[in-house]
Amino acid sequence: MVSRMDDAMTTSADLVPGAEDLDLDAMVAPTGDEADDTHPIIINVENLNVFYGDFHAVKDVSLPIRQNEITALIGPSGCGKSTVLRCFNRMNDLVESARVDGTVEYHGVDLYSKKVDPVEVRRHVGMVFQKPNPFPKSIYDNIAFGPRIAGYADNMDDLVEETLHRAALWEEVKDKLNESAYALSGGQQQRLCIARAIATSPDVLLMDEPASALDPIATLRIEELMYELKKDYSIVIVTHNMQQAARVSDRTAFFSIELGETGQRTGRLVEFDHTTRIFTNPSEQETEDYITGRFG
Amino acid sequence: MTTLHPEHAHEQEGEIEIRHHFDDELDEIRRGLVQMGSLVVENTRRAGEVAVDNRLDLVDAVRAGDEPVNALYRTLEQRTFEILALQQPVASDLRFLVAATRILYEMERSGDLAVNIANRVAAHDGFPQLPEMRSLLERLVSESAQVFAAAVVAIANLDPEIGINAEASDDVVDDITERFFGTIHAHSAELGLDSAVELSHVGRFLERIADHGVNISQNVTYVMTGTFPDEDNERPVD
Repeated sequence: MVSRMDDAMTTSADLVPGAEDLDLDAMVAPTGDEADDTHPIIINVENLNVFYGDFHAVKDVSLPIRQNEITALIGPSGCGKSTVLRCFNRMNDLVESARVDGTVEYHGVDLYSKKVDPVEVRRHVGMVFQKPNPFPKSIYDNIAFGPRIAGYADNMDDLVEETLHRAALWEEVKDKLNESAYALSGGQQQRLCIARAIATSPDVLLMDEPASALDPIATLRIEELMYELKKDYSIVIVTHNMQQAARVSDRTAFFSIELGETGQRTGRLVEFDHTTRIFTNPSEQETEDYITGRFG
Repeated sequence: MTTLHPEHAHEQEGEIEIRHHFDDELDEIRRGLVQMGSLVVENTRRAGEVAVDNRLDLVDAVRAGDEPVNALYRTLEQRTFEILALQQPVASDLRFLVAATRILYEMERSGDLAVNIANRVAAHDGFPQLPEMRSLLERLVSESAQVFAAAVVAIANLDPEIGINAEASDDVVDDITERFFGTIHAHSAELGLDSAVELSHVGRFLERIADHGVNISQNVTYVMTGTFPDEDNERPVD
């Protein structure tokens, strides 16, 4: 470009009294090789392969999940993104025919090691599902349920209040804590489920399409809550809504489907990068075609 | 047809082509830019004739020639704004639309510069003609219009290469401009102060039109590759 600002000697504070000079470097998110990878890896996936019986669902996925970041998994239906998500807290154990190869390390510990108790894993790696699924109990008991089982000994009222604050729900429910959770709206129920998930102090939250059953405003509330929560947690979200991935996530993994010779559809990771990069200038043509809506 | 998404590599036979309507909308912007740019090239050459040969009879035509450029500017900017608002474009679509708003500005300014050239000549009832200056001015008009025309071709073919090589052709324009200024300086006594100043302006306007052309073709490179051609050179090496 032919430069129109050859002389940047004058600062905005000189020109406009009270104006602050912006930190321009801080405004532009790093991309690609310049990436600021200061957030440590909390879950590291290496060569993950998942089978359901003979069906090869996910092939050779390697992916680092970083602390205090939101990582979005996107891709067409059947690309294996939910399958990968469920490997992060061993939810696939619940499927009898499922077999997981490769490693999923959480804080350097292999989650699939025989010594690891899957129930313990799920206390550290919480999960929120597509449809709000509160327990048929009071709002209070939905939050207190997990900590009670885990033997929480401190003041439960305080924990419930703090948890509801964190889930941005306290102001809306503080006067009806003993009412049924089913009395809440869909968006409130989902935030209650998020509160329930964080009540046991996990450090990773998995969200499988957490807003797809909600209206746009409730969706934005959930997204705003995710922004807040990533200060304390690491979040992995599976979403069909690409704009949602673009809005909330720091990094995006794009999965696609590989057609085998026998017509078998196996999910694979096509591209993983900073979200700004994926949505402005992805490296792979397949990613470009999907996010611009030309394929998928 | 040249479009941003010419082939849908993953499309299976019989599948419905998705976002066909959106593709058409983007291509409408692209064709509008080509049309607008072509009008600017035409008007630059016409303004050049006014300056080179004191064709005062063409001044009104130059002024009138900018009207469709301005009309296209308003329409295309409005359309681009609407598409950004309604379609949530990303990746190459987003780069194209953002580049389109920049290109529109560059073209609109260039159109104004062509009018400025004609207005300067008209205000002076023409300039004294010196053979050496006339020949340099003629070359300047031709080269500047050529740089701008190459930018229009870049948009028409969505060709990133033109922007990558644009600085070289701009150097030619800058060189002629400097020589033109030198000649004005050498003949300032014969020309008189007013004409010398005004002719310098005409030279500068033509050089600016070429600069806008360079910016336009570099924006096309940005659309197609995601980076500006000179970005790597400007970045400090560490």
